[in-house]
Amino acid sequence: MSSLKELQDLIHEKFGIAPSELDPTASMREKGMDSLALVEFVFAVEDRFGISISDEQSNVDTLAELAAHVDKVRAAQAT
Amino acid sequence: MSPVAVTGLGVVSPHGDDALAMFAALMRAESAVKAVFPELPKPAAAALAPFDESRWFTKLQLAGVDRVSQLAVAAADLAMRDAGSPTDIAPERLGVFVGCGMGGAAALEAAYRGGARVPPLTIPAFMPNAPASHVAMRQRAEGPVLTYSMACASSAVAIAEAAKAVRAGEVDLAIAGGSEALIVPGVVLAWQAMQTLAGFAPDAAANAVRPFASDRSGFALGEGAAFVVLESDDHARRRGARRYASLVGWGLSCDATHLTKPHAPGQARALRAALRMAGLQPRDVGYCNAHGTATRIGDVVERDALASVWGDDLGRLHVSSTKALHGHLLGAAGALEAVITVLALHQRQLPPNAHCATIDPACQLNLVQGAMTAAPDLGAAISNSFAFGGTNSVLLFQRA
Repeated sequence: MSSLKELQDLIHEKFGIAPSELDPTASMREKGMDSLALVEFVFAVEDRFGISISDEQSNVDTLAELAAHVDKVRAAQAT
Repeated sequence: MSPVAVTGLGVVSPHGDDALAMFAALMRAESAVKAVFPELPKPAAAALAPFDESRWFTKLQLAGVDRVSQLAVAAADLAMRDAGSPTDIAPERLGVFVGCGMGGAAALEAAYRGGARVPPLTIPAFMPNAPASHVAMRQRAEGPVLTYSMACASSAVAIAEAAKAVRAGEVDLAIAGGSEALIVPGVVLAWQAMQTLAGFAPDAAANAVRPFASDRSGFALGEGAAFVVLESDDHARRRGARRYASLVGWGLSCDATHLTKPHAPGQARALRAALRMAGLQPRDVGYCNAHGTATRIGDVVERDALASVWGDDLGRLHVSSTKALHGHLLGAAGALEAVITVLALHQRQLPPNAHCATIDPACQLNLVQGAMTAAPDLGAAISNSFAFGGTNSVLLFQRA
């Protein structure tokens, strides 16, 4: 199951950006999320899902990429 | 040399974010000091600034922005709007001068006492120069963007330094003031441990701070931000700006004797320096917004410093400490009280020295009390800010 919907809800709750305003395949940076906001978002994602996202993966640029990575980490934890 | 004109005022204060309404509330002697944090072992009182951050920030923009920076951005923006939103200033000719005593106290509190992982933006949220940088980004100020930290004198020094930069022609316009937001349990506990906060009976927090009174017992913390817009008189005239007052003198000194114990000769040096720069005599100054923290020692020392400079003219100087009503804003105190002093000149009204039923014989001053608040002939006024660390700052304003 994709984490995309949960990430969209989290980004809405945290930054007030509605799912319709952010194309999952578009650059989050171009949507006004600078590097600091992204750091805080990744931190919130880790807290929400109880996972750890490696530094390399925290450089993802789109919500879809982040969701794919979160899926992978959660799947690895579930096994 | 062209005087420095005050052309904009902006506050986010315990009495709200409308500077004139705040001044009116002070004239009515309304106290914004209330009991806070009932969970603490010892009763605590403070003056919190009502503030809706969503008027200035989207949720996305709030990432890593502590309350101290939020208040600064709002108050600086209000000051610039009040100055007529000048648009023809080259960004590199716009400076920002901010006093801040502690920085982002809420961010640190969350990191230390939050009980969870430390948020990744704690450092940029906490750093004491964050308020100035956020103001610069919001106002697109690409000139000098500077932060001053001398405890309770921080923002008065920032205003003096901004005036210097205007006078020297380094900037065309300066946004100068201060911000402080440290009403969090950990910081309140630290101030209680310092033994400088006022005691108060249950339900009597509003009257806890009694400057110059025989029964005074210290101050209450306040939070908020205040900014003025400064420019040369010529520049203000050219762009048709309203001039509230002129900043005609300032005096900076250091006691260099003790970290926390005030020293009258040091304060007197700053008072004399401000008068000398303005070319005024003590008798020319009709009002003093005192530092007046209502501590046992501080009020007596300030009275002695004023007496040593004013001499036989001391009775002509009307004095009040508005900290009785808005609390002690520490790094933002000098700026908030500068705004109040400017409005006293502009409105020709003196805010009262509240909660002083019996004046301490060791603090004999002509305190503003009762019906003596009208000041039709007021021509010049000073604002005193005397800090832990020994730094003394006096700002002297004259009617524009």
